[in-house]
Amino acid sequence: MPRDLSSAVVRFAARLRRQGLPVTLIHVTDAVRALEHLDLADRQELYLGLRAVFVGRPEDVPAFDRVFEAFWRPVTEADAVAEALLPSLPDETPAAEREGELARESLALDAWSDEDGEAGDEPLGVPAASEREAMAAQDFATFSEDQLDAVYRLTLQIARRLARRISRRRRPSARRGRIDLRRTLRANVTRGDLIDLRFRRRKRRKVRLVLLCDVSGSMDLYSRFLLQFIFALQSVFSRVETFTFSVRLTRVTEYLRGRSYREVLRRLTAVRDWSGGTRIGESLGEFNRRWPGLVDRRTIVIILSDGWDTGDPEVLAAELLRIKRRAGRVIWLNPLLGNPSYEPLTRGMAAALPLVDQFAAAHNLAALRSLAGTLRL
Amino acid sequence: MRDEIRKIQELMEAAEYVTDAPVATSVHLAMRLRKPLLIEGHAGVGKTEIAKVMARMLGTNLIRLQCYEGLDAGTALYEWNYQKQLLHIKLHETSGRSAKEEEREIFSEDFLLRRPLLQAITQQQSPLLLVDEVDRADEEFEAFMLEVFSDWQVTIPEIGTIKATHPPYVILTSNRTRELSDALRRRCLYLWIDYPTYDKEVRIVERKVPGIDRRLAGDIARFMESLRGMRLNKVPGVAETLDWALALASLHADHLDEAVVRETIGCVLKDADDIRRFRAEVQKAGLEPFLHVPS
Repeated sequence: MPRDLSSAVVRFAARLRRQGLPVTLIHVTDAVRALEHLDLADRQELYLGLRAVFVGRPEDVPAFDRVFEAFWRPVTEADAVAEALLPSLPDETPAAEREGELARESLALDAWSDEDGEAGDEPLGVPAASEREAMAAQDFATFSEDQLDAVYRLTLQIARRLARRISRRRRPSARRGRIDLRRTLRANVTRGDLIDLRFRRRKRRKVRLVLLCDVSGSMDLYSRFLLQFIFALQSVFSRVETFTFSVRLTRVTEYLRGRSYREVLRRLTAVRDWSGGTRIGESLGEFNRRWPGLVDRRTIVIILSDGWDTGDPEVLAAELLRIKRRAGRVIWLNPLLGNPSYEPLTRGMAAALPLVDQFAAAHNLAALRSLAGTLRL
Repeated sequence: MRDEIRKIQELMEAAEYVTDAPVATSVHLAMRLRKPLLIEGHAGVGKTEIAKVMARMLGTNLIRLQCYEGLDAGTALYEWNYQKQLLHIKLHETSGRSAKEEEREIFSEDFLLRRPLLQAITQQQSPLLLVDEVDRADEEFEAFMLEVFSDWQVTIPEIGTIKATHPPYVILTSNRTRELSDALRRRCLYLWIDYPTYDKEVRIVERKVPGIDRRLAGDIARFMESLRGMRLNKVPGVAETLDWALALASLHADHLDEAVVRETIGCVLKDADDIRRFRAEVQKAGLEPFLHVPS
């Protein structure tokens, strides 16, 4: 293989990476190997071959196409093929354009992070026990900006302690189940008979959570605390899928994966929909259509919203019913429920209530703590 | 185009599988680079079929591992045949052999039940391992599988390590009900199969329903294309197209009209809301918009 060709592949891979494709060294070596098995004079074949190597999900295809189009330019003379495979483009995509995009992006990302400050990495003091209890009973919305950081920390602390306790409870018990022949035999192999019986316990499978969080208006704050809380609890569940909605539904699971909560909150801002108004029914409908496989009998679906729906309540009821039929349990969290004088009278809430298995507040830490105790099937 | 790729395409067509260049190129590279091929796409677009055709092309065994939620390493790899072991112990109770001998005897290959993954690495010729609907298995299982794929060897405590002399070709399919890990994606070549284009669907219908009216086949493909553009709860796949085409052919239809569609729409739409929405659409504007050539 010509040296130039391999180095062209390396540069091509670098461009793909710059466009956000998760390209690794494995991909590059595979691509170089793949070229030996492709007809390089056939641009379409080259395209399909490289795509099979570099693209791992359909969403990446448009970016791949753009880079490919610009990099591997077609030529007319067949004997100039090798030369043409060398990139002859100016190295950068229009810089001004890219910077504009970046600036817009970081603008969105900063909107939340500013308010909890940048200096937060050193451990701040943890409130004393009595203070903590008082804090746990206080509605999230009533904290001042400078208190929020301490509340986040406490949320995390409580969630982690709960996670430890829940996983301890899951350890095998002495309860007897079906006899496990395989292990019984193994244990008794030196005896003539089966004396020491071994039992098979049903492996307890963890439940799956699907969170659908309203991020319009005042619900935004509560959604952030709920996400924070579940995020710290997530080792207890087999899988947590998270969506946010206001007018549109957005899947944010990927944004939340393996990051510090500070970063998580920062990332969430990028997907926030500022236009106001909530269409719960439509959002649930979109969830049902696009991710039907996420809900099964082992799944608890949690919806956080005040039920203030600007859409049609019948759509809301129909879509919610669709979820309820498949889910293990449906929990609706309405932070307004924390107010003793609140009555669920909005049309959306009235339509939804008969269809949910559990209706709870989630307006403060105490409420989240008691919620955690119910997240089992 | 490489002759090999053209050959693959021809072989696939000969095996009644209507294909195109992306499929053939991916299969070609998967065989050449000996890398697993991950095929994703909606239900019913013919992912599993590719594995079957590929096995036939390679003239090798197809070993299928169907994934489901809760599938664990034991079920996928091997289990001891404990009934047989038990029987063996009972039969030789009075033979006076030592426990050690006995143990060696019953934990030998004779008492081993080979599950698909173990089967796949103990063949005399590289087989084709099809890991079907990998998205339905848990993430833990995915990790376990990656481990097996990395060196094609398996350790059974009682017997020792078994290493594949003829590592299998691997095809994984996923319906995308959950996101697969990046680690898995990195290990694989990737092929996304979308719903077929109009031309491809016409070819599929004509191939699979021999003797179907030309115009009808065209109408069906056009109709399916429009239908998939609607907001549906259950978008029909190629399997639905074929069911429908068969039904229509047996009714001796030669084109689509409102009456025929009304009677047979159940072959294609399988959700009450979808059917209601579709009927409302037809009531409003007739069948024409569904058969219209999109610009």
